[in-house]
Amino acid sequence: MTGHLRRIGVAVALPVVLVVAWWFASAGSTDFYFPPLAKIVEVFPDTWFGPRMVDDVLPSLGRLAIGYAAALLLGVGLGVLVGSSRWLRALVEPVLEFLRAVPPPVLVPILVLVAGIGNGMKILVIISGCLWPVLLNTVEGVRAVDEVLADTCRAYRIRGKLRWWHLVLRSASPQIVTGARQALSIGIILMVISEMFAASSGLGFTVIQFKDGFQIPQMWSGVILLGLLGVLLSVLFRLAEHRVLGWYHGSRALEKER
Amino acid sequence: MLAVDKLHKIYDTRGRRVEAIGELSFAVEEGSFVCVVGPSGCGKTTLLRCIAGLLPPTSGAVEIDGQRVTGPPEGLAIVFQEYGRSLFPWLRVRDNVDLPLRAAGVGRARRAARVDEALGAVGLDDAHLAYPWQLSGGMQQRVAIARAIAYEPRVLLMDEPFAAVDAQTRADLEDLIRELHQRFATTMLFVTHDIDEAVYLGQRVIMLSASPTRVAEDLDVDLPAERDQLTTRGDPRFTELRGQVYAQIQKAKQERT
Repeated sequence: MTGHLRRIGVAVALPVVLVVAWWFASAGSTDFYFPPLAKIVEVFPDTWFGPRMVDDVLPSLGRLAIGYAAALLLGVGLGVLVGSSRWLRALVEPVLEFLRAVPPPVLVPILVLVAGIGNGMKILVIISGCLWPVLLNTVEGVRAVDEVLADTCRAYRIRGKLRWWHLVLRSASPQIVTGARQALSIGIILMVISEMFAASSGLGFTVIQFKDGFQIPQMWSGVILLGLLGVLLSVLFRLAEHRVLGWYHGSRALEKER
Repeated sequence: MLAVDKLHKIYDTRGRRVEAIGELSFAVEEGSFVCVVGPSGCGKTTLLRCIAGLLPPTSGAVEIDGQRVTGPPEGLAIVFQEYGRSLFPWLRVRDNVDLPLRAAGVGRARRAARVDEALGAVGLDDAHLAYPWQLSGGMQQRVAIARAIAYEPRVLLMDEPFAAVDAQTRADLEDLIRELHQRFATTMLFVTHDIDEAVYLGQRVIMLSASPTRVAEDLDVDLPAERDQLTTRGDPRFTELRGQVYAQIQKAKQERT
């Protein structure tokens, strides 16, 4: 338990120092663009815990959740398919590498033309960015299924659904999780960017609005909120990872000890 | 009964042609324990993979109870040398043993009973909920053996299962396998490169020649059915038999060079 507390202490120490430093360094600031942190904190509750929570924050997070989930399902599904067939892999891998190399923000104007400026477009932008890391990592993971384990499944006639789940997906799960982690940070970025084009609500839109309206402390509070959301999501991700990959981290830790 | 008939296997990869098995024919009586020994690189593993239906032979056939093997047959279990890679690291010991039974469509209550019995038989009553990687090598191989016997196979194949465990554990596992054979009367084919092990375990020892592999000799082990590490290995007849096998293996090696 004390080890646990110490870990949390170490993790929190630097952020606390930085916040305190920011607080005092900016305390007497008269620079219009860099208001005192005290001022930013003061406007924070009024700015975000009112109607904006329902009108902007939650819809943004909802789109992120839908886009991210869709990218996970699609990426893992396609990845398993591509990863288990050698010729399909050879056929599509160059294309996938190209598509992955296209920065998703440049797709926004195109998607606006195709899908309009509603929720659909924003979710598509998120999917178009999150899909690739999940897909490519799943392909790699599926490819690396251990031969002895695959033979074990064949010899014991473990087939169909049981095989897909217990052999293919679980083998690939460490890589799938790696892809999902990359996708999550891309997803957050795209959630904001998709709202900076032709939008009328959302976190990204609101921050741009504050900037245009010279409400600088409010703008800064939006940046802080986005940062906090990012941290919260990554903590949630870790909890999920701990559940899914407990066996993996456990066996790796033991290997190092031996 | 397990019958291997004129089995022939050539690996043909990228222009390199390797004759792994020349021509092998032998039969294993139902319920008997047969060991296969041979110099390293003589195609023991290839033979086992052909019998298990994991590898198609170039010509010839394997039959189990009169049925030709074309893919992994029903009622055949296998224990690999690489215990660490043949158990599912994401499944607990219990679920590792259980999975083949689920695949075979055995009912839940029946499965639980068989898993309990198998883990009890290999002495792992208190490891049900551990993950395989939390166990020692010898214990992991026990899990693989438990998985095989819970499957209640007609034929159990073992591919150098004890090659990677320490000597003491190895002796324990050998006795375990003998005990399980007597208790469940499964047909067993045990591949090893260890001559002592082959003579100690088998009712029969089939010696293979160097590649291209043929049966060099087929030897009945006329030691008593009740064996133990101390008296059996001290038995003059044991020494005589192992000498015979050793000479044959040496001959096979020299023929190659």
